[in-house]
Amino acid sequence: MAEPSQSKIKKEEMVKLISAEGFEFVISKKAAMVSQTIRNMLTSPGSFAETEHGEVTFPEISTTILEKICQYFYWSLQYASGKETEFHIEPELTLELMMAANYLHT
Amino acid sequence: MGGACSRKRDQQVDEDSQHNGVSGRYCKSGSSKWLAYSFSRSFSDIKRRTTTPSLMELCIYKVCEDINKYNSFSMLPRDLSQQIFDELVYSRRLNDVNLEAFRDCALQDMNLGECEGFSDFWMDVITSQGSSLLSASFAGPDVTDSGLSRLKDCQSLQTLAFNYCERISDHGLEHIAGFSNLSTLSFRRNNVITAQGMAALSHLINLVKLDLERCPKIHGGLVHLKGLTKLESLNINCCNCITDSDMRPLQGLVNLKALQLSSTKITDYGVTFLRALHKLELLNMECCLVTGACLESLSALRALLYLNLSRCNLTDDGCDKFSKLDTLKVLNLGFNEISDAILVHLKGLIYLESLNLDSCKIHDDGLVNLAGLNQLKFLQLSDTEVGSNGLRHLSGLRNLESLNLSFTVVTDVGLKRLSGLSNLKSLNLDSRQITDAGLGALTSLTGLTHLDLFGARITDSGTNYLKCFKNLRSLEICGGGLTDAGVKNIKDLASLTLLNISQNGHLTDKSLEAISGLTELMSLNVSNSRITSAGLKHLKSLKNLKSLTLEACKVTANDIKKLQSTDLPNLVNFRPE
Repeated sequence: MAEPSQSKIKKEEMVKLISAEGFEFVISKKAAMVSQTIRNMLTSPGSFAETEHGEVTFPEISTTILEKICQYFYWSLQYASGKETEFHIEPELTLELMMAANYLHT
Repeated sequence: MGGACSRKRDQQVDEDSQHNGVSGRYCKSGSSKWLAYSFSRSFSDIKRRTTTPSLMELCIYKVCEDINKYNSFSMLPRDLSQQIFDELVYSRRLNDVNLEAFRDCALQDMNLGECEGFSDFWMDVITSQGSSLLSASFAGPDVTDSGLSRLKDCQSLQTLAFNYCERISDHGLEHIAGFSNLSTLSFRRNNVITAQGMAALSHLINLVKLDLERCPKIHGGLVHLKGLTKLESLNINCCNCITDSDMRPLQGLVNLKALQLSSTKITDYGVTFLRALHKLELLNMECCLVTGACLESLSALRALLYLNLSRCNLTDDGCDKFSKLDTLKVLNLGFNEISDAILVHLKGLIYLESLNLDSCKIHDDGLVNLAGLNQLKFLQLSDTEVGSNGLRHLSGLRNLESLNLSFTVVTDVGLKRLSGLSNLKSLNLDSRQITDAGLGALTSLTGLTHLDLFGARITDSGTNYLKCFKNLRSLEICGGGLTDAGVKNIKDLASLTLLNISQNGHLTDKSLEAISGLTELMSLNVSNSRITSAGLKHLKSLKNLKSLTLEACKVTANDIKKLQSTDLPNLVNFRPE
């Protein structure tokens, strides 16, 4: 869990997603929970390590793909709030991204 | 990465429900239409996307878009290549070239019914799925006997369909015998299959569902089904060669739950062979040569829920036996020579939820017998002699959801009798005697989603009452009395997906402007009006529009095509065309 913020502006709750290469992406919990798999990890009862530290490691997702996935999470929130833009996917990433999406239930 | 086999096989082929609401070349079938007894309007049933596309969906679309860049998907988990394949078929982009990428993908479903350009060459890739393949369907004249024979490597097949495959003959059927796992088989609309070829079916001991609709040469062939005791559903609709003798081999198929025999030559004698089918729930004998005498046999069917006897030339003779069919939920007696006398025998059918008396000789007094049928949800009285007095017998049917009174002699004064039917969702009052006053009597029916006032004489002042029907999804007012001022009262019916205000000759472009906020609209008809091409600009906001009809207006096909290309990508049907 993120530390409760002392500043006047209430900080959003953040989580850390870690790629196969060890690269860390810090994104809002709300965005990360677009993924059903991550949502389950962060919210399931019983103390998963993920729940406690707000950190999830994905040993099978490369940095490039995880970055793209984080972009999708934010895009998805925007889309749901009415800003219906296009989400661009590079052709060379599509299949790998698709497998990751499958795993993440996204 | 996990999840390789996670996809549940929850999308098994079911011939009529394959793709959500998209009608294709080979999906026309009348066989089950009579069952969809309420709200069967095509447009309102199509679900629209309202959620955010998942990343998975976006990836699948992207793969399909760039499909020519991929040589093989065999390294993907099966459920992913399956989803790509399904999307390609759905978007009609599957062809000789890109099919190759699916070789050895262990696909489970290959439903090619809507694909163009099929040839036996495709069979090579299809059979490469080997024993993974559980379901395959084909359609069209390019499928041959030799193509069928090559499927023999796919021994696990459970579902197989060759609809509209006019080149599949008895010879091809011989190969079917080897598929001992088959539970569903379909050969609709085949003009060459005969009794001889059907001998192969006797080996399919696991068959649960067999569809031979519109196979006109199968007389004598049902004898080969005798041992298929697992059979639960048999469709031989429109096989006009089928006679009473074909019914004899069915008497041992005691697990049959659904039997479709419409437009065959079956008579009362043939029906006697069905008496032992004690699990039969659905029997369709529309347009058969049966009389009231068959009811004696039918009364032995103690599980019967759905019975279709429409267009059978039934008369009142022998119809007293209807009282014995007291398990029925759905009864279709439309287009028969029956009169009020029959209704007294329906009085005890207390489980009835749907009753169709379309075009029967029914009058006000007969309806008293329906007053106790409290479960009724759907009542079809179109083209009967029912008038306002008869409606008092319906006012207690609180569960009614759909009522059709078109082309009856009901007038405005009778309609207040309907005002308490608070569950009513669909009401058809297409009749010249209905006017504004009648509509005014119905304002309590706020749950209405479908209102048909096609021929009713509704004027602008009557349209004020429409404001009460906030849930309307379809509305038709074509009696000629509307002007632009009346259309303004329609503009707040935000749920409308279908609007027909054609035949109102005074409507101008201002009407189009008025309805430009109805963004849910999928179908719009303003034919025979003063609409001009200049008014089309008001339709730009109707992004969901699929059908637009502006016949006999000052609008050309080119005007509409232009609008289609710039603003209305979903438009598929339009007139003038």
